Amino acid sequence: MSDKQQWEAIANHSKFIELKRKKRNFLFTWWIISTIYYLLLPVISGYFPEAFRIKVIGPINFGYLFILSQFVMAIGVAIYYAHVANKTFDRLTKQLLEALQ
Amino acid sequence: MKKRIAALTVALSLSMFGAAAVCAEASATAAAPQVAAPAAAVSPAAAPASAAASQVAAPAASVAAKAAVAPAKGGAAPAKITPNRGITIGMFALIIAVTMGVVIWAAKKTQTASDFYTAGGGITGFQNGWAIAGDYMSAASFLGMSGLISLYGIDGFMYAVGPMFSFIAILLVIAEPCRNAGKYTLGDILCFRSSPKVVRGVAALSTVTVSIFYLIAQMVGAGKLMQMLLNIPYRVSVIGVGALMVAYVVFGGMKATTWVQIIKASLLMGATTVLCLLVAIKAGFNPVRFFTDVVSNGAIQEHVRMNVLKDVIAKPGVDYGQRFLEPGLFLKNPLDQISLGLAWALGAAGLPHILMRFFTVPSAKDARKSIIVALFLNSSFFFMISVIGFGAALYLTPQAISAVDKGGNMATLLLAQHMGGGAGSLGGDIFLAFICAVAFATILAVVSGLVLAASAAIAHDVYVNIIKDGKADQQLQVKVARITSLFVGTSAIVMGLMAEKENVVALVALAFAVAASGNFPVIMLSLFWRKFNTAGIVSGLVVGTISALTLVMVSPVMTYPKKIAADAKKVVETLEKKQAGGTVLAEKEVQALEKSRTEYVKNKDGKSMVGLDAPIFPLKNPGIVSVPLGFLAAVFGCLLFRERRAEEMFDEIDVRQNTGIGITSAADH
Repeated sequence: MSDKQQWEAIANHSKFIELKRKKRNFLFTWWIISTIYYLLLPVISGYFPEAFRIKVIGPINFGYLFILSQFVMAIGVAIYYAHVANKTFDRLTKQLLEALQ
Repeated sequence: MKKRIAALTVALSLSMFGAAAVCAEASATAAAPQVAAPAAAVSPAAAPASAAASQVAAPAASVAAKAAVAPAKGGAAPAKITPNRGITIGMFALIIAVTMGVVIWAAKKTQTASDFYTAGGGITGFQNGWAIAGDYMSAASFLGMSGLISLYGIDGFMYAVGPMFSFIAILLVIAEPCRNAGKYTLGDILCFRSSPKVVRGVAALSTVTVSIFYLIAQMVGAGKLMQMLLNIPYRVSVIGVGALMVAYVVFGGMKATTWVQIIKASLLMGATTVLCLLVAIKAGFNPVRFFTDVVSNGAIQEHVRMNVLKDVIAKPGVDYGQRFLEPGLFLKNPLDQISLGLAWALGAAGLPHILMRFFTVPSAKDARKSIIVALFLNSSFFFMISVIGFGAALYLTPQAISAVDKGGNMATLLLAQHMGGGAGSLGGDIFLAFICAVAFATILAVVSGLVLAASAAIAHDVYVNIIKDGKADQQLQVKVARITSLFVGTSAIVMGLMAEKENVVALVALAFAVAASGNFPVIMLSLFWRKFNTAGIVSGLVVGTISALTLVMVSPVMTYPKKIAADAKKVVETLEKKQAGGTVLAEKEVQALEKSRTEYVKNKDGKSMVGLDAPIFPLKNPGIVSVPLGFLAAVFGCLLFRERRAEEMFDEIDVRQNTGIGITSAADH
């Protein structure tokens, strides 16, 4: 088999297709969701500043908490991704490599 | 050979340090050192700090004059910060000695091209995480961001979100695929299934452009920072920082660069944690009490009312203290914020010196781990910086901070001095000296990574793969890489010296805009789109880069002499009117009048770099326009010139990037 055919064979392997589909769905979904949440920050602070002024605890307002929530969101997405990648993606990759041998 | 390298390294570092120390002593006695707003211009987060940082260097006396003229009456403030020279120079020497030790150790282990560019893939995920975090912890975030928070409250904190969030795109769609499919440079990832020579050429050009812009901004920032902190003349600082940077990269390659970055990141994290803890202890670990103190602080209320909102008479119903925790004091244009947000979310993933870091770990799994470690570190770093910023406002007052530096860049340093026991006390001196030394280490580490990225593009992409067709043995490759680094480093020093008076904020904006609009779209499409090809890469890189460059050139971040002239004229008119009214001007006011007059004459007929009187494009950050343009150009270019080979080869890159099969590692060399 030529090099090209070898790559093609792997690309059409059922395990690879499963891995690729799961990865794409997960990565792009979470990337888009987190980016929308992230862009809400300049949008709300720029166009709806009064929302950020609402006091929640003492002088601490919604704006401050929303900024903190961005940190929580990013760390949350990262931990969730690491969990899924370690559990699902790495396992599927291993299975594919085993099937190819 | 090894011994010679080691000896040379030591000699170089000692001589440069000696020169710096001598000049420093000499300048200590010199009159009125030049003061400018430095740290803000030192890195990614610089774009934000731009508006706060005055770009015009002014004699110290007139800065003090401005502070005195300002309506602030927040108590007598020391208008200068004076670190203890002996202690500070001692700490600088210690940092130089430790990092030089690292270089000597790393030089022994750098034998092949892979060692030089990627430390042989032998960095662990955890170590790489610290190094990546270090790339983000620049002097701009350490000094500039806390300063911005101390003067403008929550708007400064909002700037921390972009750098922090930029890890998400890197983690999800860039790091692992690039680790799996790449080798040393951006060109390696892009040229996989396209015409390699053309693509490598364009990618190298883009890498060098981004890195050099960024590098010059850092060099200028370093020079001004050292000048402000220790009265070391600008030229000496730039040459000194440059010499160290060249020594790190030329002899130690990626291994030394990485370890310098790790050392600096740990120092910075340590210093930040201690400072943040001291603020927290003072506030009794009670955030509600802390913020209640902030909003009810008389000096902060007056600062917001008089200096920021310029309400001479308090408007009824406005709580000026609470306003400090509300957005809109510094950031005025929502569209600009969205544009900046976009540049951060995508641009960081396209920065060549960040991209290069993924190749230093052995596998995609380690790349993943390194991003997660970096995200943790940077999130806590930025959070602590916000505590330091608010703490500085509360315990030092914004008036005292802006009296030392208008942009607030000295807030962290002042707070360190205050928390250590105040000016003149031993604790204050030691803590201040330590923070100065950390800021110095920060600059050194960031510039080294940039030199390495630019050199890799020239040596690996242009020389080895275009000129030599990839036929060069390891020894030659390393030699070429070292010579290129020396050349890039020297050029950076020369450009840094020439750019002393340049507007460095524009340079940083440029670097980021090019990375987001040129590099990011083509990396994404190369990895994920079957039809993508040579024409798409070239048109995407060219259009993305040129549109970003053009828009920045005509944007408000450039210097417009007519505007400076108009501002100077206003000062002249105000003071002349006062004079005409019979008031005798104070000495400081006379000086200000003289200065504004010369400034007016100097600038009244000037034009911006591209010959404009006023900006054409309204936004400081072109991302919102240039990123879509870059993507569109890449897509159209590729559809216009279909390439069968590129489509057929997609299977290979698809399998490689998803699984890591055929990964290029140190073992292959």
